[in-house]
Amino acid sequence: MTVTDVPLANPSPATARRRGRGIVPVIPALAVVVLVFVIPVLALLLRSVLEPEPGLQNYAAFFGSTTYLKVLGNTFLVAGTVTLATVLLGFPVAWFLAIAPSFWSRLLFAIIILSMWTNLLARTYAWMVLLQRTGIINRTLMDLGLISEPLPLINNLAGVTIGMTYIMLPFMILPLHATIRAIDPAVFQAAALCGASRWQAFTRVMLPLAASGIAAGALMVFVMSLGYFITPALLGGTSNMMLAELIAQLVQSLLDWGLAGAAALVLLVVTLAIYLVQLRFFGFGQARS
Amino acid sequence: MLLDFARLGPWRVVLIVIAVLVGAYLLLPILLIVALSFGSSQWLQFPPPGWTLRWYEELFDDPEWIASFLTSFQIAAVVTVLSVVIGLMASFGLTRGEFRGREVLRALFLTPMILPVVVLAVALYAFFLRLHLNGTFLGFVLAHLVIALPFSIIAISNALERFDRDIETAAIVCGASPLEAKIRVTLPGIRLGLISAAIFSFLASWDEVVIAIFMASPDLQTLPVRIYSTLRQDLSPVIAAVSTLLIALTAALMALAALFRKDARS
Repeated sequence: MTVTDVPLANPSPATARRRGRGIVPVIPALAVVVLVFVIPVLALLLRSVLEPEPGLQNYAAFFGSTTYLKVLGNTFLVAGTVTLATVLLGFPVAWFLAIAPSFWSRLLFAIIILSMWTNLLARTYAWMVLLQRTGIINRTLMDLGLISEPLPLINNLAGVTIGMTYIMLPFMILPLHATIRAIDPAVFQAAALCGASRWQAFTRVMLPLAASGIAAGALMVFVMSLGYFITPALLGGTSNMMLAELIAQLVQSLLDWGLAGAAALVLLVVTLAIYLVQLRFFGFGQARS
Repeated sequence: MLLDFARLGPWRVVLIVIAVLVGAYLLLPILLIVALSFGSSQWLQFPPPGWTLRWYEELFDDPEWIASFLTSFQIAAVVTVLSVVIGLMASFGLTRGEFRGREVLRALFLTPMILPVVVLAVALYAFFLRLHLNGTFLGFVLAHLVIALPFSIIAISNALERFDRDIETAAIVCGASPLEAKIRVTLPGIRLGLISAAIFSFLASWDEVVIAIFMASPDLQTLPVRIYSTLRQDLSPVIAAVSTLLIALTAALMALAALFRKDARS
């Protein structure tokens, strides 16, 4: 008798589906997610159309205000710059990791994982120390005579961009590394046999083969950067906010729940839209691996 | 040619230079914090004028730091247990159950991971205001559980999908009850998934700061909240000491994970 003959283990799919087999163990997780996630988030979004009175006035206020539109612009600007910087720095590093002698690639891997797992506040603190007016970077540059005045590196978008690039780099390098490793080295032998130069092999073979990995990593970094709160709050200035900080401030200082709900919905819609693009073109597993 | 390190030609130099620079960019800030935590300069001079354990003494002499450390640990420990148990049950349902809407459920369970956490933080803050859960242990556990659960479900589902179910069936054929077979055959078979679920759940709660900032009360603060509110005032070297301890914890967990991986390979 083969194991598939055991009646208990394998009822026919049709009867199983009707009985909803296996749904019971999912119930505790479903309860947690519905009660502590779905309901609170929906309630917040509802407030955007109900408070202070029913209507779309919160959205009109959000999109009608140059202050809030500037926050939206800052958010996209920082997320875009961080994404570009992580692609430009991350691609060569992922490439190096895929082909370098194993001691060096393992060492670099360990550094990347250590950095990624180190507490976010600890890393942000390091950048606050490094970037401040009398910080190490400014003092070194002045000692070298490269600048006469300290550069404004903190409490502005430059500081936010430097700190967030640092935090996002591992999320670009790791998926890109997987993509480059999956490329068959034989395609480059074929390219060489056909007379391609290194540059041609790079632009016509390697980049197209790595394009899906680059796009998946870029979308992930972009979408994570859009909603980032801690690093902008600590490295950024009060005059150049990002969207997540605005939402927090609307709730904590201004108690304007309606407008906060509207800003949250804007952030959610953008996030989910980008996420659906990712899901549609790259699949869930690849984007997260 | 391009995937052969020895035959990269001049491109090899470019790759090495960028790899070294990025490695330094990622590593130096971490080393800097460790150095500053032992440095004697209040103003975080580098290189430090002298060495001292003063900041660690200040840290351990301050009951508030100790209290927030314990609070974070207790919350993370409870969240880890709940997340692994609930995640294990959900993973069984998601990988083996045959009901309508399974894929929708899976997507729903993973959504808290991709949603900007500030939205969840503000939403939970409002929701918990009505339920009087802000600033309570239960409130922290519930909020962190939602953040930790996706990591748990991913790790355990992956392990369950790789596990050969025929082994479990064989145990049942040999006379084990279905529950006994799950506990004595399947759980040991997916133990690596369970361990990584536990590590990620613990870290998800231990490192969580955005929700905690909104929910914390003066009486109940987690360690990240305490660091964050201190950082908003000044860049005290005590933070460097706390950070160094957190980095040591990370390194220890990494070593642990590496050991388990070795164990899995052999």
